[in-house]
Amino acid sequence: MTRFLATRVAQSVIVLALMSFAIYALIGLMPGDPIDLMISADPKMTPEDAARLRALYGVDKPVVERYANWLMAALGGDLGYSRLYAAPVLDVLLPALGNTLILLGLTLVLSLAIGLPAGVVAALRPYSRTDYAINLFAFAGISVPAFWLGLLLIIVFAVILGVLPAGGTETVGGAGFWDQAKYLVLPVVNLTLASVGGHTRYMRAAMMETLRQDYIRTARAKGAGRARVVLGHALRNAMIPVVTIIALQFGYLFSGALITETIFAYPGMGKLIFDSIMGNDFNLALVALLFATLVTLVGNLLADVAYAWLDPRIAYR
Amino acid sequence: MSTATDSRGMFGLALRRFRRHRLALGSAAALVVLAVLAVAAPLVEAALGVDSGVVDLFNRFAPATAAHPLGTDELGRDVLVRLLYGGRVSLLVGLVTALAAAVIGTIVGLIAGFYGGRVDGLLMRFTDGVIALPLLPLLIVLAALDLEKVGLPAAFVQSENVSLYRIIAIVALVGWTTVARLVRGAALTLREADFVLAAHAQGAGALRIMAVHILPNLISPIIVATTLSVGSVILLESVLSFLGLGIQPPIPSWGNLLTNAQELIWTAPALAFYPGILIFVTVIAFNFLGDGLQDALDPKAMEGR
Amino acid sequence: MTAGPSPETPLLEVQGLVKHFPAGGGGLFAADTGTVRAVDGVSFRLGRGETLALVGESGCGKTTLARTVALLYAPTAGSVRFQGRELTGLGRRDLKPARRRIQMIFQDPYSSLNPRLPVGAIIAEPLVIHGLGGRAEQRDRVAMLARQVGLGAADMDRYPHQFSGGQRQRIAIARALAVEPSLVIADEPVSALDVSIQSQVLNLMRDLQAAHGLTYLFISHDLAVVRHFADRVAVMYLGRIVEEAPADALFADPRHPYTRALIAAQPVVGRGKRRPGDVLPGDIPSPLRPPPGCAFHPRCPLAADICRQSAPALEAAGGEAGHRAACHFKDEAGP
Repeated sequence: MTRFLATRVAQSVIVLALMSFAIYALIGLMPGDPIDLMISADPKMTPEDAARLRALYGVDKPVVERYANWLMAALGGDLGYSRLYAAPVLDVLLPALGNTLILLGLTLVLSLAIGLPAGVVAALRPYSRTDYAINLFAFAGISVPAFWLGLLLIIVFAVILGVLPAGGTETVGGAGFWDQAKYLVLPVVNLTLASVGGHTRYMRAAMMETLRQDYIRTARAKGAGRARVVLGHALRNAMIPVVTIIALQFGYLFSGALITETIFAYPGMGKLIFDSIMGNDFNLALVALLFATLVTLVGNLLADVAYAWLDPRIAYR
Repeated sequence: MSTATDSRGMFGLALRRFRRHRLALGSAAALVVLAVLAVAAPLVEAALGVDSGVVDLFNRFAPATAAHPLGTDELGRDVLVRLLYGGRVSLLVGLVTALAAAVIGTIVGLIAGFYGGRVDGLLMRFTDGVIALPLLPLLIVLAALDLEKVGLPAAFVQSENVSLYRIIAIVALVGWTTVARLVRGAALTLREADFVLAAHAQGAGALRIMAVHILPNLISPIIVATTLSVGSVILLESVLSFLGLGIQPPIPSWGNLLTNAQELIWTAPALAFYPGILIFVTVIAFNFLGDGLQDALDPKAMEGR
Repeated sequence: MTAGPSPETPLLEVQGLVKHFPAGGGGLFAADTGTVRAVDGVSFRLGRGETLALVGESGCGKTTLARTVALLYAPTAGSVRFQGRELTGLGRRDLKPARRRIQMIFQDPYSSLNPRLPVGAIIAEPLVIHGLGGRAEQRDRVAMLARQVGLGAADMDRYPHQFSGGQRQRIAIARALAVEPSLVIADEPVSALDVSIQSQVLNLMRDLQAAHGLTYLFISHDLAVVRHFADRVAVMYLGRIVEEAPADALFADPRHPYTRALIAAQPVVGRGKRRPGDVLPGDIPSPLRPPPGCAFHPRCPLAADICRQSAPALEAAGGEAGHRAACHFKDEAGP
């Protein structure tokens, strides 16, 4: 198990390193550079000044060299300064990361709590009316544009009914747990509706596949009760592929978070990434993207461990 | 081979087929109607006697009338005609992107499945890696790149259609994974087929075996996966366009028709409704169609087992 | 009949051929690594115009042997000499001339023909691969081959699924003959067919052998078929040849207890569905862990201590020339 973990961690570190370079290089290809921004902020600057500044900041060096410098500084704990928020990148990032993890965590719990039972119920009576209805609902969830769903939720609950806030995290002045919870409702509902369909479909497919297996038939033939067969034998085995797929969906969920956070003005990582890219805040965009990648990789890693734990046949090699 | 099938099983199978087919057929019909309307947008425009390009600030947010069946938008343009023109772009971009993604995915999946072993392991790790990445944030970076810095000629970068080409390229770059996985799975089975062994025994080269013996037998999974990915591709295009990073006005798309919708939800919520429902219907129709095709083309289903 | 170079140079000579597969590698047996000894030291010679049958229960390694001889699998060890030329270790390009002369017919005519190609293209495929003739010549040759195997010209535009099993096997035979091979390796070519069709296909194969001077390596589990079709028979058990003899000698005087069991297991009259091996106690052991000594000893009625300790060599047995058996008691009278 230790060796298995060590290999997977090493792989994740390699992926992260590759991604950090790729993202660094891509950000260098975005319009403008820090010096252009200084020029636009100070019209008196001459082209000579600009050239000198470029040399000073190393902007004219090849990308590999600049990346190496950035990496050394980053590993030393200096992740740079956010232009947009006028604060060290880490100070901006950590609260946003916390907000996103709350959003993603609640969504994951809720969509699994709905999607997995729905998938099992559908698989137990395939092609029945219930299955049909669940499938329709799942397809709708997969096919709905999340940002549009968000707009609809705002229109219904904030504009027409006026019972929930349209965006933000808390009422100005007003504080407290319940106040903040109210602001979380629509984002969590939005993201859950967008991801529950996938979970339902995967659970249904895995469960149907498992129920088709010989050992399940044997268990039934031996007279084990239906509930016992489903819960005792099939569910555990059906969960294995579902767990992997949920792991692979972690990145997808993060993409969903970006949409939801932007729509509901929820100050999480997704909105931060979007705002920093749109606002030419290169330091922040770079580190935020890397953090998003890191969170995704950690999610995948956890799911791999869960997979190994669920499947006794797996060899830790 | 006659396997004893009880009547309930037979009935269930028939019912299932019927339902599946009904949904898939309905979806296909809906898509055809949408496509025809989108192609006929100029005709609709002429029939209504409106010009969707003309801004009429005295006639903003007009309610539905005979001349404007869905009213007008914040600049007084006809909503219906704008939706149809947007549909042209969104459908075309969706199809072209899905085809481009299918080409990439077919090549990756074919090579992985044909060679198996290490090549397969490497390519599938890579595919899993792409799937696991936070794609939307990365797409936003790709969509925001300065194309002149990438080395494309300035004349091209400044042309009006560049946002179309860009969105097709970057979405295809991340949208090929579904096709790759399905093609790879089918190719892994096919490479063990006797007729492929027979070709090996004849001394046929890898390219010939892939092109003549494996690829033609992969048509079904490719069609299914491509159909299924049209939906996800349209979703990605619409969200990027909504965020202002995809297709750029004045070219209309269902995504960028919603860009201003958020500011308008208090004044004209209906404007936020129409483009979204069209995206939704299109995507769900492609998904039903793909699901139906999968059932219909699945050889196991055809054997009736 | 083509005149061979000399009786000493056989068309095909296989020496100490070994093919091992790594076991597991994921799935259920991921932890259970080992080696499947599918073919474990097989030697035989095949003269021009001869038919050698390889028989044995399913799982004895005969299909692997056929595919290794056809160089579809790279052998783990040993040599395959064809027309005096060593084939193992050759690259794809160097192998190509030999591939033209060695053709295969597969067991399942439903999976050995590409379902997306019309029959004409399937038969022409070897000609295209080996770059033989122009389009018109290829078409003429395909038409001629079709006639030889009893198919019509109109059949060439149809697809495999429109044919019956026997017709499909005729298509496969035509494909094999397209490039004028010397050796045809037929892996259970009739066992997937109805009994009534079997003899038609076998007769066709025999006629074509006479017409084209073909040499057959014929894989089968059906002794009844082998008895009438083969000149010589080699019996395989767990990856090795345990007895080899001219067909008549083998059936008249089997020296290995396994051969005797196979012969005894044959259905006596007509269409009994018993598969060979039914009368043998126990199952064929796992090729992952073959038993020590003589691999057959756990199922052998004659097994003694020596059988558990040392593996017998394949040595001359019985009276006839070319009769060999690998049994410690091969010279004792059969039960």
